[in-house]
This record gives sequence, C-alpha cells and structure tokens, in this order.
Amino acid sequence: MKKTKLFLSLVLIAGFAGLSSCSKNDATPALQATIYSNLPADPATSFNPTNGAPIGKTGKFTLFSFSTGAIVSNADSATTKWDIGFNGLTIIVNSGTSGPGSAAALVQDGVFENLKTAPDAGYKTDNVSSKSELYGQSGSSNLAIPTTANAPSNNVSVSNGWYSYNISTHVITATAGKVIVVKTAGGKYAKLEILNYYKDAPDSPSMTSLPDYYKFAYVYQPNGSKSF
Amino acid sequence: MFLRITLSILLLPVFCAAQKADTLVSKELQEVVVTATRNERNLGALPMSVTLVNKDQIKTMGSVRLNDVLTEQNGLVVIPQVNGVGNGLQLQGFDPAYTLILVDGEPLIGRYTGSLELSRVTVGNIKQVEIVKGPCSSLYGSEALAGVVNIITNRPQGDKANFSARYGTFNTADLSGELSLKREKWSAIAFANRYSTDGYNLTDDPHGQTVSPYYNTTLTTRLFFKPTSKTDFSISGRWFKENQKPAYDVDVSPTEKIFTSGHADVNDWNVNPVLTHRFSNHFKTVARLYATHYASQTNLINTKTDSAYYHDDFTQSFTRPEVLGEYFINSNNIITLGAGTIFESVQTSRYADELKRKQQTSYAFFQYEWQPIERLQVISGARMDINSIYGSQLSPKLSSLYKINSKLTLKGSFGVGFKSPDFRQLYLNFNNSAAGGYSVLGTEIVKERLQTLESQGLVGSYYYNPDLIGKLQAEHSRSFNLGAQISPINKLAVDVNLFRNDIDNIIETQIVAVTTSNQNIYSYRNLNRVFTQGLEAGINYPVFRNVNASLGYQLLYAKDKDIVDQIKEGKIYYRDPATLATRQLKPSEYFGLFNRSRHVGNFKLFYSDKETGWESSLRVIYRGKYGAGSLQGNIQGLNPPVTDTNSNGILDKYDNFVSGYFLVNLSVAKTFDQKYRVQAGVDNLFNHREPMYIPNLPGRLLYVSVSFSFSKNVNQQ
Repeated sequence: MKKTKLFLSLVLIAGFAGLSSCSKNDATPALQATIYSNLPADPATSFNPTNGAPIGKTGKFTLFSFSTGAIVSNADSATTKWDIGFNGLTIIVNSGTSGPGSAAALVQDGVFENLKTAPDAGYKTDNVSSKSELYGQSGSSNLAIPTTANAPSNNVSVSNGWYSYNISTHVITATAGKVIVVKTAGGKYAKLEILNYYKDAPDSPSMTSLPDYYKFAYVYQPNGSKSF
Repeated sequence: MFLRITLSILLLPVFCAAQKADTLVSKELQEVVVTATRNERNLGALPMSVTLVNKDQIKTMGSVRLNDVLTEQNGLVVIPQVNGVGNGLQLQGFDPAYTLILVDGEPLIGRYTGSLELSRVTVGNIKQVEIVKGPCSSLYGSEALAGVVNIITNRPQGDKANFSARYGTFNTADLSGELSLKREKWSAIAFANRYSTDGYNLTDDPHGQTVSPYYNTTLTTRLFFKPTSKTDFSISGRWFKENQKPAYDVDVSPTEKIFTSGHADVNDWNVNPVLTHRFSNHFKTVARLYATHYASQTNLINTKTDSAYYHDDFTQSFTRPEVLGEYFINSNNIITLGAGTIFESVQTSRYADELKRKQQTSYAFFQYEWQPIERLQVISGARMDINSIYGSQLSPKLSSLYKINSKLTLKGSFGVGFKSPDFRQLYLNFNNSAAGGYSVLGTEIVKERLQTLESQGLVGSYYYNPDLIGKLQAEHSRSFNLGAQISPINKLAVDVNLFRNDIDNIIETQIVAVTTSNQNIYSYRNLNRVFTQGLEAGINYPVFRNVNASLGYQLLYAKDKDIVDQIKEGKIYYRDPATLATRQLKPSEYFGLFNRSRHVGNFKLFYSDKETGWESSLRVIYRGKYGAGSLQGNIQGLNPPVTDTNSNGILDKYDNFVSGYFLVNLSVAKTFDQKYRVQAGVDNLFNHREPMYIPNLPGRLLYVSVSFSFSKNVNQQ
C-alpha cells in the first residue's frame, strides 16, 4: 500500500512539475473564466394572484463591472464605473443611449474557450429610440447586444440574439455558441457567455422557474490587450 | 364453410375459376393487389415494395379502425397529427401528409390539418389493405410521395349476411352489419357500422379529456351490374358522420381559466360509378367518376356565460372524371393509359374570408409492363399533372424485378414524387383564441398580415428571416428502393428493402413572428434538402403447423442536409449540461429530424386452426427513442418539458428523448359451426402510457366481440 501511495505522489509531483514548466513557456499566464451566478436582472418580487402579472419591477438595470467582477450600485449609472447592465432579457453596454461611457460589444458565433483574441472591428454601441424599444418584448437590434430571439428549431438564425424562446414551453434558453465580446468602459476587453436565465440555473427550466437571474461566464483581460 | 366464404371474399373475379383449388394455391392467389399498377397483379411478381394485409389477419388482430391495422405493420408508425391529436401515418420517415390514402382506388379527402385522420375509416368491410412504399406519383399524382395505402372493400360473394359487435374499455362499442346479394346479372353489397366511445383522459385535468367522447356512423353500398359478358358497371357510395363532444379549459392567465364545451361534427360522402368495357381480349377501358365531399365544424360555448366562444368550419369537395385503357398486347407486354381532371374546392372559416378557393388539375399517365424474359419484369411509367396554380409536374418511375433463381429475387425502383402546397398552406388565415392565442397564416396571406401588424407597431419580433417569409414551392422527391426476396429454405421468406428518399422543398410549419401581445404567428416554409434513408427487413416462417411467426425491423436515418452541412462547417454548438461549456457538435452527434425513431420493429405470432375454429395472436410492436419536437397543442393540463435542452434548435444526442417502448397485443378467438365467432383480446397489455408525448396511446384496452354470419347459395356462379 505504502509503495503505491509513494508512487502515486511521485507521479503527481512529476505532473505538476510538467504543468508549471509549460506555463513558464507562455508569454502571459492563461486567464481563467469566472462564473457569476444569480445576477438579478430586475426580477419580480411577487406575482399578481389573479392574472399572474409580475409585481415589483423597478425598470432599473443591474450594472456590472468586469474589472471588479462585481455589481455596481445603480446610483453610479451616470458614471463609467460599470460596463454592462441587465434588465429582463435586455443587456446594455455603457455607451450611446445607455450610458456616458464608450463601451461597445459584439456577438460572435463560436466556442467560448476557443476565442483567444478579441476581434479588431465590428463593435457596436447602444442606440435605441424609445423606452419601449429598450424594455419591450418587441426586442431591439439597435442594442450592441441585440434582444431578438434566435429562431427555435430551425437552421436559419435570423439574429445574433443571445437566447431562444421555446413556443410550447415558454422557456428562455441561452443559445450555445454565442460569445459576447465587450470593449469595457475602461477600454479593456472582456468576453462573456450567458449560461442560464433562471434562478439557481436549473438544468431543465420550466414555466415555474423564476426568470431574470443570470448565470454567465466571463474572462476579463486587464492588461488592455485583445488576447484572452 | 366459413373458410370458403372467407377465401372467396379474398378472391378477385379474375381468379374465380380457381376457387376449387386447395388452400395452398388459394393462399398464393389471394395475394393479388391492384394499387401498384392500377391493375390486378400478383403480389410476388411486382417490382415495388408492396405490403398486403388481408381480412383474416385483420380479424385475428381484432382491429376495428384503420389506425389499429396500420400501427402493427412493418415500417409504419402511427403518430399524432400536426395539431397534436388524432392518428396520422409515418412511412419511410415521411410525415403523414405524404401518403395517399385510398378506398377502392379513390382518395379520401378532409386533410384539414394536412394529414388524414385514420380512425375515420372502419375496417369492418375491408377485404384487404395494400401498402405501396416508395413514390407513386407516376400513377396517382400529388401526395403519393412516400407511398399509397389502398383499402379494398368487400365484394358481393353470394347471398350472405353477417353481423358483429365489439365492446371494450372506455365504453367503446363497435357494431357492424353487412349484407350481400348475388344474381346472374347483378350483385349488391351494403354495409353499416356504428362506433362509439367515451374517449379517455391521460391527465388529472377534470374539465375536458385528452380524447373527448364521440360516435360515428359509416354506411357503404355497392351495386354491380353486368349487362353483357363484355361490360361491367358498378356504383358505390359511402356516407360517414361523426359527432364529438369536446371540452377545453383555456388559460386566460396563469390563475384564470375559461371553461368551454360544445360539439364537433364531421360529415363526408362519396359516390363512384365505374363502367368497364372489354372491346376484345386485348383491350379494356374503364370510365369512372368520383365525387366526394367533406365537411367539419366545431362550435364551443363558454360554459359560465353560455355564450358562443369559438367556431370553425371546413368544407372540401373533390370531383374527378377519369378514363383508363389497358392494352394487353400479350402477356409480356401490357400498356396502360389514363387521363382525367380533378376539380377541387375548399371553403372554410379557417381562411377568414370564407371564400371558395378552387383549383383544377388535369393529368395523363402511361405505364408499360414489359416481361422480355421469364425472369425479368420491367415496369415503366410517367404522369404529367397540369395544375391551375402550380403549372406542370412530371413524375416518372421505373421499376424492375429479376428472379435469379427460386431462392433469390432482386427488385429495384426509382421514382419521382411531388406534393403541391395545399390550399391551407397558401390561404390559411386562422386565428385561434381558444388555445392561448396564435395565428396560422398561409404563405399568400402572411406577408400582407405582417405588413399590417408592422405598420401598427404590433410585431414583437421575427423568428424567421423576413425575406424568406411567404415563398413556397411544390415539394419534390427522388426515391430509390432496392430490395431482395430470399427464400433460403422452403416456406422461409426473407424480405429486405433499402430505401433512400431525397426531398427538396419540404413544407413545414414555421413560427415566423410573435406579436407584442405574445401571440405567435405561424406560417409555412420550404425546408430544403432533407433525406430519409434506411433499411426494412422482414422474416416470415410457419414455425409449426397453423402457427406463423414474423419479425420486422426498420432502420431509419432522416436528416436535414443543410444542418448536416452546417455541422460539418462547425457552425452548430451545444452546451454540455454538466460543465456548461459550449462545444462544437460533431456530425455523428446529430440525431436527425424530430419525431423519427431510428429503430422500429415488430414480432408477431399468428395461430389459426381452421378445423377446430381456434385462432389467436401475439403481436409485439417496438418503437425506438425519438425526439418529440414541438408539443404545441399536444395535450392540455400538462407543461411540456424541453426537448432541445442545449438550445441549438436541432435534435442531437445530448437532448431529451422520448424513450423507446414496446406494445404487446394479444387476442384469442373461436369460431363455432363456421357461423358464430367469439373473440377476446387486449391491446397494450402492459398499459404503456406517455401522456405528454403520445396522446394517441390510451393505455390498456380490453375487448370482447361476437360475430355471426349467415349465407345461402355461396359460391354458386
């Protein structure tokens, strides 16, 4: 027994040594993806018992900073402390009609972890014309991260939306393979992928799951380069 | 006596001379089919894939409706229709709308959801069911893309009467009576059937059922007149009426419901005079007229306020004069020519304008049956359809059979099939307020409607490329069937058939947009480039005297070629549910189209002892796992789970599947004095149920039936 244990630990040490020597060869240390769970995006506090309508919606966006990896107080909405904001299905970036910053974003098809370099061009800023366009169920393609659903159950993707809506289950699902690349308010680059839209990220959400809670993965590059 | 009556029913007049032959010969002779060539041909000599289900099998199975019969046949899957209810037929991976359903060679109409409700058809007066797999547009035109099911009804065989009654689970009663008379110059047959059931409920929902109670009546009659030895005249008529009492609860909001109830009625009738004249031993002509009418309507009231809540109606008519000539040069060269015109109209509240929409199709076809040498049979043919809306369609077909030796026969066929967009797909303007609210709009209507909605600012978002909305073409298929009949030892029959269907422009329902008030708008689109391919195999062997065993299997791959291409290009992703990491989907991980099982199979044992009058059967039907697709309207009172769990819009191996399942059916019957017959049986012995996914599977069904037949002057001709 002892011999086996000794052997195993030797192998493990050798393994770690190998790994560390590998990373030494890299120019920059690999960035790790961070997963943020249960970001509330203006969820209802309760539901009307007679018609089921949500109660307690504030209309305010939950603001988020990639550099701190934390929520920014809504009182700072007129500053450049935040990069992106969430309300229901709408995601804004700190620019244009949404904020004073110069943040921008684009949505790209691909595997999140395989996206090693942020694209040079193609970033958009927010440019909605009305409040109803910003919050409305009609969605908007005038946002840097458009709020139009992807066509479910067919092969023709009509938009770069981050989600799809199932007509028979009424469930919102974050579409796999939609990588959002953000140029932050501070001019740095981040990439994120929405993973789930329901509280505690159930594997198989249903109509009874609580919506407006984001789970997402992101990588923030603090050194200002485009590589992740 | 009973045996001889049964057999004589199965024989066509052509073979009447052979009636005194022994059972074995008769068994071969009874395998005469008409569907594959539109002429009476021996099943074994046909180069197409043809399945024959005869009356004896149907009786032993205890079937009463057409769906009962078809669901047990190799390679056929009975699935709910587009709207999630009822029974439609899936053949070689094609949806129910692609198989033509005929009664005595004439089509049944009333496909208001695109496919035909199989339970409309009673099997009480059926002589045999013929199923031709592979496209038959070269003879039958549109809709015969996957194949043709032809129901052949009884012909008068002497003076006889029979009556049967069956009672079973859910208070289901089926009563049938048939009377036939035969004289030297004329004969007649009349049949009546009444079917009633309480329906069933697969959920706890107290208001309304999965299938609401209904009853229906079928009356058919056919007269034959033979004024001279060279001329035959027949006229047949069918009348069908069904009344159903539906009830639904409608969710106005998550906590508020409206209760509705009412009635849904179906009426259809047809009349079919046929004149056959043989000018000589070489030349025969047939002139026929087929006129049919189908009407259905639904009325629902709000039970609380007693006010009208919902109404729809649908009326279709179809009239077709046709002439056909058969030129019998010699037994090795037979030419068939035919031509006709179809006049069709539809009028329905489901098209909001209630206008009568008409179309007309003129067609001509030819067929050449050629047997250059004893071992080789070649059938070639083509049909040209000229439609008042779609222009012309040419559908050729070539089939051949080569008998290598007594143990091995090879068959192959190639054909082109088509299916025109129907009235519904063009002009439907249906707004449902009864089921949560949605619209289904034909492609000629949808663009206009969306423009109006857009100008009013009511379009929520598009789910489909707006540039592609409203463009529709006819569907086309090119199909290959390659088969072999192998008989390695005496009485052992092995049938293998490989099939490949390449379909262009398949029309599918497509959600195109959602309004700001969250009402979905559906229309239709061509889903380009789909294929279905697979293998069908059957083994038949009389394991003991009086016991016949058979084993059937179908392997099916049905895929969207565009998706296959996109996967190869690495454009399709999925999310690993465990790690939440996104991955590229590999080609091997794509399962295929929704609702198609890769594996289906069946095992059957039939026992029949003509001497003692005992017969019984054991049938095991297997359907392998499949992805359910959209469950819109499938069943009320349940929240459907997500099939496409990883949100890439296609069915891959990481998604939710409906598990494979077995159905076991048993029956036993005894005939006394060749007149009285008593039968008992159970369908779905192990009570398999899957309420959400298979609403047309009610669970275990027990039944008993009695029948009585009386005859005089049998077989005196």
